[in-house]
Amino acid sequence: MIKQGQEILKETAMAILPITFFVIFLQLFFLELPLATLGRFLGGVALVAAGLFLFLLGVRVGLLALGEMVGSEMLQRGNIFTILLITFALGVAVTVAEPGVQVLALNVDTATGGEISHTLLVGVVGLSLGIFMALAVLRIFLGISMGYILAIGYTVIIILSFFVPAHFVPISFDAGGVTTGPMTVPFILSIGLGVTSVLPRRSTVGDSFGLMGLASLGPVLGLMLLGVMQG
Amino acid sequence: MIFRELWSITGEVVQALLPLVIFFLLFQFFYARRPWSFVRQVLTGTALAAAGLILFLLGVQVGFLPAGEEMGAALAGLDRPFLLMGLGFAFGLLATIAEPAVWVLCGQVERASGGYIPEKLILIVLSLGVGVFVALGMGRVSLGWPLYYLLLPGYILAIILIFFSNPTFIAVAFDAGAVVTGPMIVTFVMALVLGVAGAIEGRDPVLDGFGLVAMVALAPILAVLILGFFFKEKE
Repeated sequence: MIKQGQEILKETAMAILPITFFVIFLQLFFLELPLATLGRFLGGVALVAAGLFLFLLGVRVGLLALGEMVGSEMLQRGNIFTILLITFALGVAVTVAEPGVQVLALNVDTATGGEISHTLLVGVVGLSLGIFMALAVLRIFLGISMGYILAIGYTVIIILSFFVPAHFVPISFDAGGVTTGPMTVPFILSIGLGVTSVLPRRSTVGDSFGLMGLASLGPVLGLMLLGVMQG
Repeated sequence: MIFRELWSITGEVVQALLPLVIFFLLFQFFYARRPWSFVRQVLTGTALAAAGLILFLLGVQVGFLPAGEEMGAALAGLDRPFLLMGLGFAFGLLATIAEPAVWVLCGQVERASGGYIPEKLILIVLSLGVGVFVALGMGRVSLGWPLYYLLLPGYILAIILIFFSNPTFIAVAFDAGAVVTGPMIVTFVMALVLGVAGAIEGRDPVLDGFGLVAMVALAPILAVLILGFFFKEKE
């Protein structure tokens, strides 16, 4: 436990100190930020460092174990239909609760003058992420190569981007990025590791990853389809 | 004022956490039935992670965000696009290293690969990628390049690279794309770039802002796919 703590302390320092020193360096030679701003920045550094330490500790103590447990138990006990249903429900719940999605939905609602309402955007993003997360688990199960699915998915996205109203394109791409916040990343990441740990066939490192990458394809496709239908 | 921030951030984190905890408890009671010590361990870890995330987000909100905005506005006054791009590179790189979920991903990659793909290697490669793309984003803001010129060729290149890269790296690359758009990049680097955009005449901060997240998400995909291309030859 103490050894783990030291390791995490080292990682925290490596994460936070470079950007801190860079800002101080700029301030010394190039910038004249007001002292109040610099003071708040340094206060922010202390908070961010303490926060990162606790976060990484908590992830290692609990969140990773949680995801691996869900991934492995799901596969050992359930049939494939139940597994897909659970993954879908989980994907929807996690997305709808993600603060980043709510912020994007509000911004889009305002920017489009209510043309894409808050509820519509959150609904489409949540459902499409759920569907793609279930597909991603199915892929690990069947051992289909990740490359094919991604190549097809992104080709469809590029083609769709020519038919979607122009203002929909950046919104759709952003929706793919905001759905996975820091709280859900360790959890979803470790589900993949849990599933592959009990897979009946021989698994590779590539099997364990890609759950988030594939899942975030969902909202991009979902919103672009919405754009085609509305446009 | 800091208490109001603290209150709203706590609300956000709890909201993001709630479905996970409810799901875990349902799963535990109806399905898994692990021993009580395991439940306690998971709940302790989750609480620690939540407390940590609250402090982290608070620090970004009250300390990094205002500094980013003011630095952006001050740097725009320099009116030297190449210097701005260099600074964009440095900030993109350093902010990625400070991103919490990035460390989790890189650690898991090292663990799952049995040390075959070291944590630091992935961390450095994807941070360099983000640095390059934030530099391009700065160039876009200060010189007015359209988003399509960068985003479309980027994704087409990614599709082509899929066929030449190592399969392990393909999966990790697209995960990394989803992971890097965390609070440090989205809040701090965005504030910096928008600070520059706001100080240059004829730029629309809202439109310039929308594309930046998409560009940052593309960066690690390309960087890790390229790493996978070279890794294949070493094997």
